[in-house]
Amino acid sequence: MTALLEVEGLSVAFRTRRGVVQALSQASVAVQPGQLLLVVGESGSGKTVLAHTMLRLLPRNVDVSGSVRLGGQELLDLPPGVLRRLRGRRMALIPQSPASSLNPVRRLGGQLLEAAQARGLTKQQARTRLRELLDEVGLDLDVVGGRYVHQLSGGMQQRIVNAMALVGAPDVVIADEPTSGLDADLVDTTAAQLRAISARGAALVVITHDLRLAQRLGGRLALLYASRIVEVGPTAAFFAAPAHPYGRELLRALPEREGKSIPGMSPQLTALPGHCAFADRCPDRFDRCTQTVPDLYPLPGGGLARCFAHAER
Amino acid sequence: MLKLIVRRLAVLPLVLLTVATITFALTEISPFDPVAAYVGAENNVSPQRQAQIAHAWGFDQPIYERFGRWISNLAQGDMGNSVVAGGQPVAGEIASRASASLALVGGALALVLVGGIVFGVLAAAFRGTVFDWLVRTLCYFNTAAPSFWIGLLALYVFSIELGWLPAGGSSDPRTVDDGGVDLDHLVLPMVILALTQYAWFTLYVRNTLLEVLREDHVRFARAQGIGEVAVLLRYALPNALIPFVTLVGTHLAELIGGTILIESIFGWPGLGLLSLKAALNEDIPMIVAITLCASVLVVLGNLLADVLYRVVDPRVREASP
Amino acid sequence: MSASSGTLSASLRARGRLWQRLTDAVGRWPASVRVAAGVLVALVAAALLASIVAPLDNTAVDLDRVLEGPSAAHLMGTDEVGRDLLTRVLHGARISLTIAAAAALAAVAAGTLVGVLAGTLGGRIDAVLMRVTDVFASQNHFLFGVLLLVLFRPALGGAGAVMLAVGLTHWPSLARIVRGELMSLRERPFVAAAVGGGANRRRLVRRHYLPHLLPAVGLAFVLTVPHAIFHESAYSFLGLGLPAHQASLGNILADGQRSLLAGGWWIALFPGLAMLAAAMTTGTIAEYWREHLHPRWRSELEL
Repeated sequence: MTALLEVEGLSVAFRTRRGVVQALSQASVAVQPGQLLLVVGESGSGKTVLAHTMLRLLPRNVDVSGSVRLGGQELLDLPPGVLRRLRGRRMALIPQSPASSLNPVRRLGGQLLEAAQARGLTKQQARTRLRELLDEVGLDLDVVGGRYVHQLSGGMQQRIVNAMALVGAPDVVIADEPTSGLDADLVDTTAAQLRAISARGAALVVITHDLRLAQRLGGRLALLYASRIVEVGPTAAFFAAPAHPYGRELLRALPEREGKSIPGMSPQLTALPGHCAFADRCPDRFDRCTQTVPDLYPLPGGGLARCFAHAER
Repeated sequence: MLKLIVRRLAVLPLVLLTVATITFALTEISPFDPVAAYVGAENNVSPQRQAQIAHAWGFDQPIYERFGRWISNLAQGDMGNSVVAGGQPVAGEIASRASASLALVGGALALVLVGGIVFGVLAAAFRGTVFDWLVRTLCYFNTAAPSFWIGLLALYVFSIELGWLPAGGSSDPRTVDDGGVDLDHLVLPMVILALTQYAWFTLYVRNTLLEVLREDHVRFARAQGIGEVAVLLRYALPNALIPFVTLVGTHLAELIGGTILIESIFGWPGLGLLSLKAALNEDIPMIVAITLCASVLVVLGNLLADVLYRVVDPRVREASP
Repeated sequence: MSASSGTLSASLRARGRLWQRLTDAVGRWPASVRVAAGVLVALVAAALLASIVAPLDNTAVDLDRVLEGPSAAHLMGTDEVGRDLLTRVLHGARISLTIAAAAALAAVAAGTLVGVLAGTLGGRIDAVLMRVTDVFASQNHFLFGVLLLVLFRPALGGAGAVMLAVGLTHWPSLARIVRGELMSLRERPFVAAAVGGGANRRRLVRRHYLPHLLPAVGLAFVLTVPHAIFHESAYSFLGLGLPAHQASLGNILADGQRSLLAGGWWIALFPGLAMLAAAMTTGTIAEYWREHLHPRWRSELEL
């Protein structure tokens, strides 16, 4: 079955005054309808860039190579008009910080309506649909519509951007750090909402650095380290027995496990080494690791790991 | 917000008093002798006559008495009399010329706003193109070129050479002088005055717009499938213009100062020309009075800017829960 | 013999190194800044050497050639009494640049004094000084300058009064900048070390603050010069500044206004071009310098 959303060999580099920042190198993932893909990594590992690249929301100083396909159609060279119609209708984004993602000087009602109408709905349809979606999460469109962003709590803001993502009943939903800064009970609610989205049949990509959330959500997991995907596989398999040393060390660092943090620091994206990026901190490294970059090698459980230790198989 | 207005207005008399004090001190310190200036180069005016004039103007009284009397006069609206022929009350002269300057400044301000927004938005939208470069270079030239030079050149090209527009004054001297203002006489001075402020505002709009376009809420609007034009006009421009409101206050003061030069070039009968004539005639009371009025305008302008900012920015207007 | 030639070659080598450092620095400048610097140097040189460089005598009246347009004999034409305009512009540029530099210097000196006083003495003195600065800053530069000119020109003469007018209207922003720089300097570790070593205030100012403030003050000076040029020219243009026998570019522009109706556009054009060139070149250099060192100054110096 061809994947609904397919990313292949995606490399994204930013040209900045400090030099070239390599945010993604040869990333390849795929998601099916109704499937949930977790993209996990530390802050600054390239996760948000992946989300923005899928929707082509990148700034002007980037170099992008590779392929992003939605239902077989290449997205990276779409003309702007076609791209605009695709955003929101077939692919929607739940942004990382809802507080700064909504226009601070405009009442929410107008913004919500405009966003819904951008999906092709009439004003009437938009109002109905928004009311439904907000009802489901306990918000009243009439009350919320008259407010400004800064007058709402973080939880309310999150629920609103969640609802906005679903207005066009998109095939793919990308949620960027949906639980950062939320209290534990709000994390629970959000996790439930995300699972509900997945249950509707959409393909869901969740980007997060919260490992506990990842474990709760299940699905498949892609681990990012220093701009590269270093492990892909079923989430459960990852948490049971991570294949890549970075994944192993990450889980060991969790307080409920050993609570032992990983020594050293991840490399700067402006100066990536020409070999395995984790080698300097890896307890199991050998000579080959400091010479070349490993490929993604298949694992018995059906996943992939970018580690020479799994090369033989 | 009412508290803010009251507080600011309460400060106004203090500011005026300080300005008045400084001005008075300057007139005292300066070696300028108003009596000598008044009698001019005629040296057949006897010392007794000079002493008489000095006495009539109160110059032989102690300094604090003079200051006190001046301040109390000011408080009652009496700004002294002009030393120019006729000795008319200064306040009356200012009042009669104020509307002409107001028309000029108002029109110029409108031109600056409209022109700046249009070209600032276009330059931001077409960033990096030849058009953008052209706008920025012209603005840069505009900032460096002296306003009165541009005014002279414009006068030559459009009035003397091409004859499209009149060469000065506020109305055609050949028609009946009903005290009205002919619009075609307003065009050149208004445009040149607008040019003094146009450059910074256009660049401000362009640069702030480019910054705002990088913000999260703009990216999210695009992610919703909202078109670029709507994003520019409804999600970027209003946000960019809000801080501008506070800048209006300071630059209004500059616009007022620019009228001295512009009105003198085009013979526009406003307060600027009045100031110039007063300066050339060494009419101290007139200049001092205009300076004080300008101070009032500046303080009021800043107050207006602060109030507007609070009204216009919902984040300030409606505090968070 | 060998000792003196040794030191001679050593000093030549040292100068060679300095030259090398200079050319390296210039090489780092973007093309626009290099062009600006070149034009500015040429302009200043031509102006300063006006008496030598100018083709004709500045006062040579030639009533046969009144109000002639630009030609081979008179590159910028002649004025209403037949004087060569190019000569007049060169001399005028010298006067304008000199007065403007002196006026800017006055403003910077006054601003630095107030800024240092406010920054080092702190407390109530600082508050009072800053309020006074605010009042002066809220005045419209031009109008206030006109008042000062009327009051002080009879005593100080045109040049002196213009310097006073520019100085008294521009010192507030400079005072604020210097005070701000001083405030951030005070946080630096070397100051704590000096204070710990028992330095008193005067010593602190002299040996520690001033050297660090000098580059900032220098930049402030360069940024003020274009404003000074504009103000001086504007005052002279209106007849409130320099007298006719000390004609600056502004005075020549006033002549230009009078000869416009007779068609003498060149008298209005060329002095303004000189002013434009001076303002653009100093502006380009100063902007580049400021972007590099003091990006925070942007709002303060919207003079």
